[in-house]
Amino acid sequence: MDSKKIRTIVVVAVFAIMAIGLIAGIQFGTLSGFGWDTFSAICPIGAFTTMLATRTLLPRGVISLIIMIALILIVGRAFCSWVCPVPVMQRIGNFFKRKSVKKAEDDARAKELRDIATYELSCGKKCATCGGCKQEHPKLDSRHAILGGALASTLIFGFPVFCLVCPIGLSFATIILVWRLFGAGDITWSVILVPALLIFELVFFRKWCGRICPIGAFQNLFGRFARPFRPQIDDKKCIETTTGKACSKCAIVCDADINLRHPAFGEHTLDDCTRCRACVDVCPTHAISMPFIAKKGASGAPVMQVADPLSGVKEGK
Amino acid sequence: MEEEKEKQPEAPQGKKRANSVSRRTFVLGVGGTAVLMGLGALRYVGHNPICRPPGGQDEIHLVDACIRCQRCYEACPRDVIVPAHIEDGFLGMRSPTLDFNNSYCDYCAEENEGRPKCVEVCPTGALVLPAGATAQSTIIGRAVIDEHTCLAFRDTGCRYCYDACPYEAVVLDDYTPYPRPHIVNDKCNGCGACEAACVSLKAGSIAEGATERAVVVRCLDAL
Repeated sequence: MDSKKIRTIVVVAVFAIMAIGLIAGIQFGTLSGFGWDTFSAICPIGAFTTMLATRTLLPRGVISLIIMIALILIVGRAFCSWVCPVPVMQRIGNFFKRKSVKKAEDDARAKELRDIATYELSCGKKCATCGGCKQEHPKLDSRHAILGGALASTLIFGFPVFCLVCPIGLSFATIILVWRLFGAGDITWSVILVPALLIFELVFFRKWCGRICPIGAFQNLFGRFARPFRPQIDDKKCIETTTGKACSKCAIVCDADINLRHPAFGEHTLDDCTRCRACVDVCPTHAISMPFIAKKGASGAPVMQVADPLSGVKEGK
Repeated sequence: MEEEKEKQPEAPQGKKRANSVSRRTFVLGVGGTAVLMGLGALRYVGHNPICRPPGGQDEIHLVDACIRCQRCYEACPRDVIVPAHIEDGFLGMRSPTLDFNNSYCDYCAEENEGRPKCVEVCPTGALVLPAGATAQSTIIGRAVIDEHTCLAFRDTGCRYCYDACPYEAVVLDDYTPYPRPHIVNDKCNGCGACEAACVSLKAGSIAEGATERAVVVRCLDAL
């Protein structure tokens, strides 16, 4: 079983368990506030904004933030591929797309990335020593601006603004609204408008995760320091370094738009790796691994300099 | 915005190095921030008055702190906490309110020795009780009887609400042939026991045009 299937099962299981708990009144909480009884792990954006809005330090909020940051420092954005329901819902959306359209899009992406590989390989230098693949990316992007906007809006208007439109919150809200419609005859426009807003966000912003999501931005700010489990290429096995032919399958498969072999050409860098293992699975020569401690000298090891993430938040406003 | 730096010559079509702040990033960042500011401004639009679970009586604090995590809904042993409708305003949507159709709020007297579970589980402190708060001092709302739809006012002798009220906030008058119920405002804390018991919309006794029961709890701001 490849990791995509395992991931889908994990995501669906987590969502289903929480949804059933919500309906049956078994207390698991939701992804916005997960926990039993008085124990709660709050969504970092929720914890941050609610404390900002009330101008108080909540013990549960501070502890949640510390736990989340500690986890992110180890596994980066793994939440995004292993827990968050949004990518799976977007895949469901893709399911309804016409096959020819989908194939054309996939082919175009594959061609573009293969052309990049061809172009880079034609430089004539030896890949492992060239350094042309050095990661040069802006350290902040639109997600960080939106995270900054969410915090600024919360500071000005005094309530957790992003929670109103958060797709994770809207997914659980949809469950409870549909349940109340059929279980309690509670008729409200919310039952139409909440899923409609969710679908709008996911369909209209197909790159929600990589370009909009402030939760992803938060994880990126700390995930950039996370070294364990980053994928790295063994140049002795990689098709591109051993034969000089374009392959780029690892880039084509990457949902986070990271180009592992040619990092400068990816929309994101390994700082945004969600540890989904898609590249490990797809590599035809099994050249990619995700070691707990990075091997020295292997490609894909971080070379980017890291700035103070909090200075970026200020700029992002 | 930074210009693209093309270090390598003859870059093939459609191949951009990613190291520049693109127009898309700029538009999304500014647009997203603008949308969030607009959503924040909903604060001034406000929303209809909404009955809140125990601990949510300070409406401003509740809106400040609630992240709509839904923990109070599932914690409520009587399933009376439900998400507020969008009809009550986008700002209030999905925040906790009360539905007394099937049960009422007993302040978790039976289930948790009088310590409301919703307050205990609320992870952000949006639901928080002042020190020494009791069921009687926590005013969720106040029951209101609609004399046009109330069966007792049609001389049926109905007194379900009177029997249900745990706080002696429903009294019967001396009307003949049958006494009629009235709410004692000072004693009512809006627990919803009367609304949960009211039969005015049940059993074929529906009054024409009635959309809610003859006794309903209204939050104080709506009165």
